[in-house]
Amino acid sequence: MDQNRSLTDITTTLASAAGINPAEVTPEMSIAGDLDLDSMTMLEVIVALEDQFGLLIPDDEWSRFVTVGDLAAHLQRAGVVAS
Amino acid sequence: MGMADSQLRVAIIGAGIGGLSLGLALQERGIQADVFEQAPELTEIGAAIALSANSIREYTRLGLTPELAANSTVPTELIYRHWQDGSRIAATPVQEDGWYEKRFGAPYFGIHRADLQKTLSAAFNPGHLHLGCRIVNLVQEPDAVRLEFANGRVERADIVVGADGVRSTVRRWVTGADDAIYSGTSAFRGIVPTENLRSLPDPHAIQFWMGPDAHLLHYAIGGHGESVNFFAVVETPKQWLHPGSTAEVHEELPVASFRGWHPAVTEMIQAAASPVSWALFTVRPLLRWYRDRVVILGDAAHGMLPHHGQGANTSIEDAFALAALLADAKGDTPDSTFARFQALRRARTRKIQRSAQVTSSLLHLPDGPAAQQRNDKVARVPQDFGWIHEYDTQLELQKIGCSPAPSSTGTH
Repeated sequence: MDQNRSLTDITTTLASAAGINPAEVTPEMSIAGDLDLDSMTMLEVIVALEDQFGLLIPDDEWSRFVTVGDLAAHLQRAGVVAS
Repeated sequence: MGMADSQLRVAIIGAGIGGLSLGLALQERGIQADVFEQAPELTEIGAAIALSANSIREYTRLGLTPELAANSTVPTELIYRHWQDGSRIAATPVQEDGWYEKRFGAPYFGIHRADLQKTLSAAFNPGHLHLGCRIVNLVQEPDAVRLEFANGRVERADIVVGADGVRSTVRRWVTGADDAIYSGTSAFRGIVPTENLRSLPDPHAIQFWMGPDAHLLHYAIGGHGESVNFFAVVETPKQWLHPGSTAEVHEELPVASFRGWHPAVTEMIQAAASPVSWALFTVRPLLRWYRDRVVILGDAAHGMLPHHGQGANTSIEDAFALAALLADAKGDTPDSTFARFQALRRARTRKIQRSAQVTSSLLHLPDGPAAQQRNDKVARVPQDFGWIHEYDTQLELQKIGCSPAPSSTGTH
């Protein structure tokens, strides 16, 4: 899976949950503040990304993500998204 | 015996609430499954369960709700109380003004597990319920799964469903690991005649008594609210060292763990005289609920803390969803049917599992600013947790193009 494709998957999933245009999503945006995603909506995003990338993201990991970049960095560290 | 040859051979491991519900849900869709239960008799241990609208609406379609109602108590209200002075922190009507049923389209029942199990098993074809069959091995064959039981029995099935609880044997075959995790919390539980609870305000309400490092939940059961079922959770032991999920404890321990609490709480625990500790296990979130022709559901797939009262209710949702998808499979591989099942169910159950985990610590806060914030939050329970109760499995199935259940003259 190439890098752009993977990052697109992340922003598309987040944007769809937040009800905004994927082009508006940037790594600096905060998940709770800028995207206004509560923890239950965020968990839907997490489960969708887990299915797409075939990787489990434990609750004590994703619940610490503050920004979109934190989520992308986690998937990069896990090796499912190129860094 | 033998499974019907003319159609899909489905073997369900476990005759608990999830397993029996799946048997009935498949029966509704014209598939006769076989249920294998390790216990020699269907005798649910002394405990009760709260059935909520999200599961009762499925039983209603099968015609089971009148019989369940005859053995159930509908709570008057949901009340949160202070552990020591007993003050009402927040309350939501349930039966009052028919609020809950109007809002969620089905009632809310407190019922003894044995009564529920009796209703479910009586509606299931008795020739296909096999007791005393403890699964010891599953073997993948080219066109089937071979099931080996401790009593020497061997069966073959096209589809195997592990509905064998939080310590599931089938899950170990699916994931290759033991994914059960001790939560660091355990419970004392009991069922007490309501008339013996002289200090208890609102004995027919469902009530949470919230205090430092512990809480007690209770609700009435039986056709006339004649008993109160309670569940008292403590943050001990830190590690669970016993082989099973229960352990005998010193007879003083249950009451001693709630020393200084409101008399209604200590009186209830004292009256139960049940010195047994129940470890609360959960299942680590799993990426896959299936392997080959074998799938897991209910606690086996997503064992959760009981603080939303949703362990059994989500198992029932799982059962009706899986039955619909198996009936809808039309020659698809088991893999693709199970993938649809998981796609429909994993996010929902993960959310409830996570939310119950967060709720556990909220229920155990010491008096102070954090508890005050929590108290404001529990006042919003109907708004915050309506999504759990309003869920309609048949509606969700329709959204993914699966045929709705044959509407409803019932199965018997």
